[in-house]
Amino acid sequence: MKSLYVETDTILHRLSPRTKLVALAAISVALFFTRSYVLLAAAAAAGAFSYLLVGLPIREALRRLLPVFATIAAVAVFNFAFNSAEEAIVMLLRLTTLMLFAATVTATVTVASFIDEITALARPLERLGVVRAADIGLAAGLVIRFVPEILDRYAAIREAHAARGLKVGFLTVLAPLIILTLRDADNIAAAIDARGFRRQ
Amino acid sequence: MSTRNLVLSSLFAAIIVALGMLPPIYLAVFAVPITAQSLGVMMAGTVLGAYRAGAAVLIVLVLVAIGLPVLSGGRGGLAVFAGPTAGFLLGWLVGAVVTGYLSEKLVNAEQSGLVQTVSFFLACFIGGVVTVYFFGILYLGIVGGTGISKAFLGSLAFVPGDIFKAVIAALAGRAVMAGYPLLPQRA
Amino acid sequence: MDIRFQDAGAAFAGKTALQPLTVTLQERRIGIIGLNGSGKTTFARMINGLVTPSTGKVTVGGLDTVKDARAVLGKVGFIFQNPQNQIILPIIREDIAFGLKNRGLSKSEIAAAVDAVLARLDIAHLAGRRAHELSGGELQLAALAAVLATGPDVLILDEPTNQLDLKNRTRVEKTIADLEETTIVISHDLALIENFDRVLLFDGGRLVADGRPPETIARYRELAAA
Repeated sequence: MKSLYVETDTILHRLSPRTKLVALAAISVALFFTRSYVLLAAAAAAGAFSYLLVGLPIREALRRLLPVFATIAAVAVFNFAFNSAEEAIVMLLRLTTLMLFAATVTATVTVASFIDEITALARPLERLGVVRAADIGLAAGLVIRFVPEILDRYAAIREAHAARGLKVGFLTVLAPLIILTLRDADNIAAAIDARGFRRQ
Repeated sequence: MSTRNLVLSSLFAAIIVALGMLPPIYLAVFAVPITAQSLGVMMAGTVLGAYRAGAAVLIVLVLVAIGLPVLSGGRGGLAVFAGPTAGFLLGWLVGAVVTGYLSEKLVNAEQSGLVQTVSFFLACFIGGVVTVYFFGILYLGIVGGTGISKAFLGSLAFVPGDIFKAVIAALAGRAVMAGYPLLPQRA
Repeated sequence: MDIRFQDAGAAFAGKTALQPLTVTLQERRIGIIGLNGSGKTTFARMINGLVTPSTGKVTVGGLDTVKDARAVLGKVGFIFQNPQNQIILPIIREDIAFGLKNRGLSKSEIAAAVDAVLARLDIAHLAGRRAHELSGGELQLAALAAVLATGPDVLILDEPTNQLDLKNRTRVEKTIADLEETTIVISHDLALIENFDRVLLFDGGRLVADGRPPETIARYRELAAA
């Protein structure tokens, strides 16, 4: 599975992941403390500038943002129609800015760095016995590892159903798909335990 | 968390991700297509119970946050959480726990198939529809600037489709329980 | 490295999977055979502590599988039947490296160790491959590499060739034959263990035969024919 990290080398890439995440958090909060069109428009421009700086081809850069922006635009239109123009513009600028800066961070921080950051964040919780920090990386790895197998299994179940003359619909495949996938859990867990992965 | 639970939650998260790669289901009756993925999220609680379902959805959300395109349509990254509909994702998480909790409490192996299905439907409706919309509408109203009552009215059109989803999730949840019961029994 | 069962047995949910037995394993190549449900898998899983004894105790090189569980896991590597479920990270190299985390090794030391074990099994070309793309045999060898990377003294292989086709089976057989570690193999494939030093036969939760391969295998055939 290809991540959304963009492998160029810009000044943004050279900032530490933590700096970028803290900055994003700060920006997110700050955006909700102002309703000034000027400030918000400037922020949006800054967001757009940083996102373009990442180095994605324009088409791909826009394609990535389309789903989120579509919802922002839809709600802005809704606001314009049913609330006030002011509310529509403020919200449009705020969320678009947030979207642009968030996309910039995603494009300039690798999956591995994110996992490291989350693991570090989870360590205090580990002392409380709530969670095991290293499990996060393991869980992410397990998902990426087994998604292709599940897709293969889906295709295989559909074939088997068709071969047996059963009506093939997604709904008849769903339950077997879940059952067959989860049945492997015990074996996978045994292999993980046998390799001593989760003993501190 | 036991290794077994970690693996079960991760595998279900993988199922949710895999379902996001399948095309949406179009039913002529409803305006909006049903994504296989949202069905998977709704089912997590019925299959795994509250704790593991919460863990599974949390894993999916973490994968989105770290930059993997795991949401249906290849969406991912932090930008997803910037949109006005981000509340629905939080709703997914809390909803999965609620669905799981209700499933554990209402369903047991001795009941008839019909009773189990109806109980699962209740769990999916309260957890997968009411809870999800609660957080979605709250966030939309506040962060999206629409105000809560208007957000509520604007979302109503999607509800019938989601109720139908809850029916499917209940039927599938029951089928899974018949084949491979994993639900912790508290009923 | 000797493995001792001292009046050790295991029961699950009221049912006895393995009757208490006392036996010491010291040979370099040990085979374990028996019909399904005979207790052979339980026996093997008691050696690395995956199953803890309900009675008695099991020690590996003097370490108790219950009290010194972590140390035992460091000494005993375990390969399972299903090739798919042992490589748990997407890329082979990552999976092997994951087992070497938390040992205070630097990144380059880990990389070197991964390369070394892959070269040892002649599968260096699989390093950057995705697990999803590999055949069952390649996955079993990768799983073996992952286990060997942590330097166990004893290897247990639970029906390692069961799900493999002939070509892959031969490849894994040959690899097993060349291993220096003490190797215990559970197998339905009798050809795999016929040249071993010692073979144990289980039936109905009991050890019913124990000795050189020809005799034990002959007894197994009698049991299977009955």
